[in-house]
Amino acid sequence: MVYYLIICRSLTYAQTTAKVLERAGISAMVMRPPVKIAEKGCVYCVKISEKRLREALVTLNNAGMGHGKIYILYADGSGREVTA
Amino acid sequence: MIYLDSAATTLQKPRSVAEAAARAIRTMGSPGRGGHSAAMLAADTAYRCREAAAKLFGVKNPESIVFTLNATHALNIAIKSLARPGSKVVISSFEHNSVLRPLYSLGARIYVAPSRLFDPEDTLRSFEMRLGGAELVVVNHTSNVFGYILPIREIASVCRSSGIPFIIDASQSAGILDINYAELGADFVAMPGHKSLYGPQGTGILIAKHGNTLIEGGTGSNSKLPEMPDFLPDRFEAGTHNMPGIAGLAEGIKFVSVTGTSKILAHGRELIATAADGLRQIGGVRIYRADNPGNQAGVISFNIRNVPSEQIASELSARNIAVRAGMHCSPLAHRTAGTLEQGTVRISVSAFNTKKDIYEMLRAVDEISKKV
Repeated sequence: MVYYLIICRSLTYAQTTAKVLERAGISAMVMRPPVKIAEKGCVYCVKISEKRLREALVTLNNAGMGHGKIYILYADGSGREVTA
Repeated sequence: MIYLDSAATTLQKPRSVAEAAARAIRTMGSPGRGGHSAAMLAADTAYRCREAAAKLFGVKNPESIVFTLNATHALNIAIKSLARPGSKVVISSFEHNSVLRPLYSLGARIYVAPSRLFDPEDTLRSFEMRLGGAELVVVNHTSNVFGYILPIREIASVCRSSGIPFIIDASQSAGILDINYAELGADFVAMPGHKSLYGPQGTGILIAKHGNTLIEGGTGSNSKLPEMPDFLPDRFEAGTHNMPGIAGLAEGIKFVSVTGTSKILAHGRELIATAADGLRQIGGVRIYRADNPGNQAGVISFNIRNVPSEQIASELSARNIAVRAGMHCSPLAHRTAGTLEQGTVRISVSAFNTKKDIYEMLRAVDEISKKV
């Protein structure tokens, strides 16, 4: 499976982000991303399915919520930053 | 024991509070310290508590709910974020030492706005007269000694229109009176978790939108950077969280939300009215009671002739009735009411007290008044 990770500035912000997405019917899970994509160290992210990224970003935008960098995470654990 | 010292700490809590605290000890790690299930359970619990507090106090964003050790800790963060040595700070004449001492320690120029007890118009007028050049206002919502409800909405309005930052000490009002952070427009609202929010001791909340750190350390965020995060709540939450406390506090807030502050307030007022009516009948008792009961909540003070208040409290304690006597850490309030020498005996109630508790207390005071 391929996922997108939306990097959040804090655990609490990640939780709020996940809550907003869940309310919109988008499954979202708060987790710690791989260290190599956590530039400032110890951050949290929200993991969403590959197919829901665009919808998720529209939902966050409508809720007035910003977001950090977005990464695509492949099944083998590798990933790269993508532009929203 | 008949417990009438809830202005210090509520002793009787909803059962769910202790259960949640015990469960947290058994099952929870630290929020923001890992992605395993114990850490994430703690994270979910802390978030639930923030959400519940945000809803209760009209806060839009759960990130603005900062966990502290108590109201004093919260007030220290707030005051030291906004006041500097030499700052002109206006405070009410009912402030607790948790406000007075941090300001004194900072070397702020403290202007006390003196006003009569239970006279909101006089309090507002006194503030208005002293706001010229003020850099900060700190105001107690409800006096911990007398239960006097200060006109914070009006003071907030004056501060907003004058562009003066202000801090509300909601130690005696959170969970009893309506507090809407968004409407008040305060910079900070500080409150304990262990009084009328029915959480465990060691919990407090600061509603914040910015500010300076009081302590620095690990936050589980931005770990590669030497400086504290500039976002909330992490900025003010260095170190491991008190998860048993926060889990219990979440249940306490839930109890308050489900019961409703208006119902809790009405219950407290009924008990205080019963206490006031009964105390008036006892010879030698002087009570501190608002002419308009709408200006008082949850607390009533009294004395018996010139008998030291501590002696009365000791006599009540011997009869298994817990009250607080002395200065209540609020010499300003006692100076205002003219009780600085004697202090007062303070009765303070919670949602769990009954009229029977009040009748028992009255019987005991009657007996003591004949003896001392």
